[in-house]
Amino acid sequence: MRFNEKELVLLSRQPSERAAELGMRGPKKGDVVKKRLVKLVVNFLFISGLMRKRSPIGALLLEQCRVEREDSQTFSIAFLDEAERKYVFECDTEEQCAEWIDSIIKASYEFMRKNLIFYRTEIHRLTGKDPLEQYGISDEARFQVSNGRPLPTVPFLVAL
Amino acid sequence: MKIDEKVLTYFESSNSPVDKEGYLYKKGEIKTSYQKRWFVLKGNLLFYKDRQTDRDLVGVIVLEGCTVQLCESEEKFAFSLVWSEPGLRTYKFAAEDQASQESWIKALLSASHSYLALLVVDMESKYRDAVGALSSQPSKPFVMPNFNTIQPAVFVTSNTCTSSALGTASSPNSCPNLQALTISSKTASKKSPKLRSKKNASVVPMFDPFQTIGEYDFNQLHEDYGKEVKELIAMWSKKGHGGANVQDENLIDFG
Repeated sequence: MRFNEKELVLLSRQPSERAAELGMRGPKKGDVVKKRLVKLVVNFLFISGLMRKRSPIGALLLEQCRVEREDSQTFSIAFLDEAERKYVFECDTEEQCAEWIDSIIKASYEFMRKNLIFYRTEIHRLTGKDPLEQYGISDEARFQVSNGRPLPTVPFLVAL
Repeated sequence: MKIDEKVLTYFESSNSPVDKEGYLYKKGEIKTSYQKRWFVLKGNLLFYKDRQTDRDLVGVIVLEGCTVQLCESEEKFAFSLVWSEPGLRTYKFAAEDQASQESWIKALLSASHSYLALLVVDMESKYRDAVGALSSQPSKPFVMPNFNTIQPAVFVTSNTCTSSALGTASSPNSCPNLQALTISSKTASKKSPKLRSKKNASVVPMFDPFQTIGEYDFNQLHEDYGKEVKELIAMWSKKGHGGANVQDENLIDFG
């Protein structure tokens, strides 16, 4: 599969939400633990070796995945296509582990989209106004409620 | 650098929302001819394959750090994705008609993760204002949730907006990065590095409105906010059942 590698490498160098050395295993069962520099940028996890090289070893898209706690200091990212396909990460502390899980979940584009739609719907309900109108993006498919229908044009207020 | 292709393939074929799809002509990297491909835009990823019904993907373009531009071309209805750093690519496309061209440009302009992140913070701020405005009305019977634990993300550079500015100013001009789609996603990612700079380890991640480490479930949040309303409705319906006689007496008699 072709992809824009150089541009993705540039992305991996952007300031990061979260970066740390973690023990990493997977995705196949039986893979050994290797210490890696793991960096979260937008909805990608960039994996690098500990020696500072020009580009990461790999990039992992954080969509359609399940992030789970394996034990107090370990979390995993499982991809929904195959049950056996799991990346396991070992952290130094429980707190670090919890923070990574939280960050990865919130980094997904789909998670953010759902929140946007939630806020948009609520703001419309509370104020009668569509907050995306001022940006000219009300009709964009990506911001519609999940059933695909755009917000009603007649404003309404919930009687409280 | 390797990319986990199985994850990408699965994401494209999954039933996650498709933001736009259709045929476009794409200029080849080596051959300069334009080739017709089926494109699927999901989030910040633009997938492409030979035909709509194909299972195999030819490729994917990650839409971060680029601008969308109309371009000079012998082809009609052309536009491009431009990474302006030296050594980086420009992808050239041609649509089949003007409507398609405009629609694709618009969809691609709002595709980046950074753009969505800015929007979410803005919406969150507006939401808090809307809820706050509601709670200041004395006749409302229920109490708004406590927002003291919420820390808005703070934008530091002049190219971006502080969340307080977003919250108080109602004019669209208050936030240049969110202004209509002429502003490129590049602005958000390139000119505002401090937007995502997290040198201070105690700064909360950009979107972390509720400061909860661990399970964050905004469905639960929705439930919580609706709880008071549900309780009121339950209370009113109880009163209604118990006081049927009272209700009859209260009916206005026009007779």
